[in-house]
Amino acid sequence: MIFWKYNLMQQFMDLFAALGRAVLFLFHALLLMGAALLRPRLVIKQIYSIGVMSLLIIILSGGFVGAVLAFQGYETMVDFGATDALGIMVALALLRELGPVVGALLFAGRAGSALSAEIGLMRATEQLSAMEMMAVDPMARVIAPRLLGGMLAMPLLAAIFNVVGIYGGYLIGVEVLGVDRGSFWSQIQHGVEWGKDIGNSLIKSFIFGVVVTWIAVYNGYTAEPSPEGVGRATTLTVVLSSVIVLALDFVLTAIMFGG
Amino acid sequence: MHEPAVQLDGVSFSRGTRKIFANIDMRIATGKITAVMGPSGTGKTTLLRLIGGQLLPRQGTVRVFGQQVSTLRHAELYQLRKRMGMLFQSSALLTDLDVFENVAFPLRAHTKLTERLIRDIVLMKLEIVGLRGARRLRVEELSGGMARRVALARAIVLDPEMVLYDEPFVGLDPISMGAIVRALKTINEVLRITSVIVTHDVVEVVSIADEVFLLADGRIEGHGAPHALYDDSSPWVKQFMHGLADGPVPFHYPAPSLMNDFLEV
Amino acid sequence: MVSSRMIEAAVGMFLCVGVAAIFVLTLQASSMNRVPSKEIYTVRARFENVGSLRVGAPVAVAGVTIGRVTDITLDKKMFEGVVSMTLGKDFGELPKDSNASVLTRGLLGEQYIGITPGGLEEPLRDGDEIQLTQPAVVLEDLIGKFLYNAGTSQDHQQ
Repeated sequence: MIFWKYNLMQQFMDLFAALGRAVLFLFHALLLMGAALLRPRLVIKQIYSIGVMSLLIIILSGGFVGAVLAFQGYETMVDFGATDALGIMVALALLRELGPVVGALLFAGRAGSALSAEIGLMRATEQLSAMEMMAVDPMARVIAPRLLGGMLAMPLLAAIFNVVGIYGGYLIGVEVLGVDRGSFWSQIQHGVEWGKDIGNSLIKSFIFGVVVTWIAVYNGYTAEPSPEGVGRATTLTVVLSSVIVLALDFVLTAIMFGG
Repeated sequence: MHEPAVQLDGVSFSRGTRKIFANIDMRIATGKITAVMGPSGTGKTTLLRLIGGQLLPRQGTVRVFGQQVSTLRHAELYQLRKRMGMLFQSSALLTDLDVFENVAFPLRAHTKLTERLIRDIVLMKLEIVGLRGARRLRVEELSGGMARRVALARAIVLDPEMVLYDEPFVGLDPISMGAIVRALKTINEVLRITSVIVTHDVVEVVSIADEVFLLADGRIEGHGAPHALYDDSSPWVKQFMHGLADGPVPFHYPAPSLMNDFLEV
Repeated sequence: MVSSRMIEAAVGMFLCVGVAAIFVLTLQASSMNRVPSKEIYTVRARFENVGSLRVGAPVAVAGVTIGRVTDITLDKKMFEGVVSMTLGKDFGELPKDSNASVLTRGLLGEQYIGITPGGLEEPLRDGDEIQLTQPAVVLEDLIGKFLYNAGTSQDHQQ
């Protein structure tokens, strides 16, 4: 019994220690971010592989999510004769929740897993170790630019997701289902507030961008130096960042829209 | 007599509960080729990491070029590392860069040389390892032996005072092996760079090393000039140097006697 | 391998598209646009109840938007809602005795301020207060009154 308690304590301590290491890792990387800005080429390369490479999946998914929203919203609203409000319903759902959240989930699947695999492979093939021995700090050279790239790319990806989604909703709602074009747009114009909706949307996606990229680079960096280790790190990144994004979204929504 | 390039005093190191070194003393002479040999799993790579400051000893001191590695701050340690190069067993080339850029990497990171000068230096180092013509190849296109030669060129591109070789002969065909040995000798003799080679390849080491340390079970079992070690009195050293199947390290893993094992059924 | 020039170009385009998306959201989807005109003036009105009126809601005369609500505060002495709104000068001058009411667009629509012009010669000027106002109609009150009336009329019949 005592042994069991001791074991549990030990496991909690391990958990806290792991969390602490991850937080210190983030601070370390953030401190080096200024230096990363002095090497814009590295950051540009990362925005390319993180942001540009995720663009296609973001645009496709955004369009479909918006279209589905319009379909479902129309089905419900038509019974109340409130289909004029379809535009605002689609826009708010996208801006407040789906853009940042679905965007972040896709981001974790596309860019996060790739980051973990890439850095894990660098760990497994001793590239990170080699950098250290060449007196090049891998935290500054590898981690900081990727973190910065993810932080910059995520809000832009979410904004693109939102716009494409709204147009997807417009296509279905107005062109297919016959909602009045004028009221679709004017409802959006009257209903959406800059700070509350668009601003919060950007803040949310920025936070998600930091969290997902952080999880991805940390898992890669601390991956066991073997093929299995890299595989595990990649899986862990996708699972962990999906769960944390959804949990964090609940908290952020409560803070932003609850009061 | 020069000050030794590397000096280990009473160094102990363990990984978890496993003891890797117990109270080791070692002097690595400047300008010479020193080989550290031992069976697999005796912590030879760990020794290089201790010298490079990637690991810190539990006890004792590691001095490199007279500086105690464990007391250095981050920036000082990085300054020290610029004075040494390291050849990794896996070559550890950066996979997103081509051969030329891999060799140029330390130059770009630490110097503000012009593009023209960087080009000249890189080509010079690639010439030493015989791969000047391969400068535009991508890392995936290289064979294992070529990758290791590129890594060697990278290790010496900053003109270090010392190069650490981690298992430089492992997994190479005889021709690649010959190429690496030749490059290694050139680097030591022409550039007067202190070389520390970690390996278990007796034949190659005897042909090039000035001094050999034999490691086993966390201790130094023997040390001296390679030819002298052939005639060493220690039975363990004899077994290792001559590659005997049986000796102090038995051929058979500890087991009950053969007769008992068969009768058990 | 993609050349570094291509990468830079792609990243540049990505940044532009992303910023453009934020811009489109701002313009197309928010009430920040549609400043009624370049020259504006501000007037205030007190309401017994502002309902669910929000900052950014339109101010309309005869259904035509001529301005926006810019601020909603509470008068701490009178406990009335004070609504500030900016109106466009190019929509002409409103008489000083105009009437402002909080109206609802349709049954479920958003609330806005409707202004019914009065008959005086003297116009509303910047900083003036609209004296005649009608509070928002609260649906619950309306239903309550209706039920009450229905109940009393039944009593009469008996």
